[in-house]
Amino acid sequence: MTNMGRRGFVKGATLGALAFTVGGVEAIMAPGEARARNVPFRLLDAHQGETLEALGETLVPQAREAGIAHYIDQQLSVPPHEALLQARIFNVRPPFADFYRTAIVSIDESSRRILGRDFAQLSAADQREFVGRMRQNKIEGWTGRPGAAVYAVLRADAVDVVYGTMEGYEALGIPYMPHITPEKRW
Amino acid sequence: MTNEKVDVVIVGAGASGSVYASVLAKAGKKVVLLESGPDWQLTDLISSEIWGRRVKPAGAPILLEGKNPMAYAAQGGWGVGGAALHYYANFPRLLPTDFRMKSEHGRGHDWPIAYEDVAPFYDKVAREIGVSGDARAEEKWRPAGEAYPMPPMKTFRNGNIWLKAFEASGIPMVPAPVGMNSVEFKGRPACLYDGWCHVGCPIGALANPQVTYLGEARKAGAEVRAWSTVTRVLTNPAGTRVTGVEYYDDKHQKQTQEASVVLLAAWSAQNPRLLLNSATDKHPKGLGNASGLVGHFMMSHHVASTWAMFDEDVQNHMGTIAVQYMSYERYPKKSHDGAFGSSFVTAGFAVKTTDLANSRADLYGPELADYMKRAARNLAGIKTFGEEQPNVENRVELASEKDEFGMPLGRLIHSFDSDAVALWNANFEEGLNVARASGAKEAWSARGTMPTSHLLGGTIMGTSAANSVVNSYGQSHELPNLWVAGPGIFPTEGASNPTFTIFALSQRGAERMASQWGTLTN
Repeated sequence: MTNMGRRGFVKGATLGALAFTVGGVEAIMAPGEARARNVPFRLLDAHQGETLEALGETLVPQAREAGIAHYIDQQLSVPPHEALLQARIFNVRPPFADFYRTAIVSIDESSRRILGRDFAQLSAADQREFVGRMRQNKIEGWTGRPGAAVYAVLRADAVDVVYGTMEGYEALGIPYMPHITPEKRW
Repeated sequence: MTNEKVDVVIVGAGASGSVYASVLAKAGKKVVLLESGPDWQLTDLISSEIWGRRVKPAGAPILLEGKNPMAYAAQGGWGVGGAALHYYANFPRLLPTDFRMKSEHGRGHDWPIAYEDVAPFYDKVAREIGVSGDARAEEKWRPAGEAYPMPPMKTFRNGNIWLKAFEASGIPMVPAPVGMNSVEFKGRPACLYDGWCHVGCPIGALANPQVTYLGEARKAGAEVRAWSTVTRVLTNPAGTRVTGVEYYDDKHQKQTQEASVVLLAAWSAQNPRLLLNSATDKHPKGLGNASGLVGHFMMSHHVASTWAMFDEDVQNHMGTIAVQYMSYERYPKKSHDGAFGSSFVTAGFAVKTTDLANSRADLYGPELADYMKRAARNLAGIKTFGEEQPNVENRVELASEKDEFGMPLGRLIHSFDSDAVALWNANFEEGLNVARASGAKEAWSARGTMPTSHLLGGTIMGTSAANSVVNSYGQSHELPNLWVAGPGIFPTEGASNPTFTIFALSQRGAERMASQWGTLTN
């Protein structure tokens, strides 16, 4: 057996916050920091990023600021076996980008048909109402994966970026108590 | 490329494969384990639910169908250690009735062995890897055996708060046996009770293969080849013996590993996939499949989770993911009117923020934020595992789609029957009654999609090729040097978490293989 220290004595040497590309150079930072610094998305376009932020914020307050779109974008750019996305746990079949892209298309199509505009352009109250119906598979004419599945995966991602971090635990008053501390408090 | 022939090639370096590797390497056999995922080290086990997903299943997906698709990714394994790298390590054993389902109840199958055949191996495994618990307390429900080598784990308010309500409901709770260290054991430290077991325990307090059987196997000379994906089991021209396996290595190069004995220990869904994909002219339906039963009788447990919010701080960040208390009181198959099957009742476990959020999966937005604050210190849960009866229609088969190596994907079709649904509902009802009697200010059932936990069957054991795929040791009825290990050989599942039984059956099978070696290599 490797001679390990007890709680917190050993850090994951090769793991830290996520790798984002800034000015052609890879930098390690938390997704919220990447958002604050306007780091360009790797795979998402601006509309997709805006929609994911609006969905994330509707599902879990503070998900936008925590960088949910940058988190998902960065994770979609790594091989599926390295991905940390909840899609993996929900048995979504790679490539995971297909899931997010089709989910955004389904949401926007329904939003435009029912409320006359893309989801990201809705009022907060309408966004909330829409997500509630999506959760219950009660949006008529919905196409693609069931709304409940989209709700579950995106909500889980938003929970991750807001509550799954050391800062998230701290905000809830829960001692984190790591054996091996994630670098950069992620 | 062909490698030097070895005595045993083991497909899969998880719980069952590690036991065989240890026993056989110590017996002087040359052992190679082929594992499709990475060779995880203890230093990889970051205390983070997010980073912890790296050790969850990846690679070729299993296509999921049926009314209740098996949600394997949350609990399955990938890489060295398999699911046991990050398992909950609840170690209840099966009870004698589980081995006699057909003769006692006219349901499912009888095992070709009895509880008494497995019991010595439960005790042996406990001595080998360490189990904490109170055997005497359990013996109100099961035959006596050895005491566990370690006392029960510490308990916390999130477990103790349930005890009076269970007692009032006629369900005595006793300390749960777990594969974790309540005290230092064989140089491995005691648990710290910080609840990160499910992403892997880097200090070795959790009995994962790396610090138990696999560590022993490596010391005895067993070789582990990570990133090695087996696609076929090979046979001789006459189709009377297996000769080795074909696999793709970490550089995606095709390799052949010849061996005197092939052991499939790649989990309940992958073992049938391999057997079916290894069909030859002599075995047109797949290896070991004269019965047509390879891939059939897949089983899972359903889980009735009941949550409650208390006024007091229940220390729900403290403890382990394994449960603190358990009861076999509802294990008799007809415990609930209108339902059939065993139930295994548990309470008291640490929760992380994902658990908090999932305990009210319907909440979002400001209501979720408010709930998370309240649940952070005041939420506790009980979980009742329920048995599913074996159904031949629940199966693994080959799909037309193929993985990156050209091997057909596995399709896993699973639906719970009306017995299982009735038992699930009965367990919810009882759980809610207990929660209401506990003094909780709120209590609710976590309904929604019917959960699937653990995957068993697909290569079940029995008395002959007419009714099963392997014998009680895991040896193919048709090909004497082809063996299968793991939960796939269970012909019924009971309601107990399976890993202790997986270890015990593997220990029994491995010792048999070693003792009968001469008959296997002729």
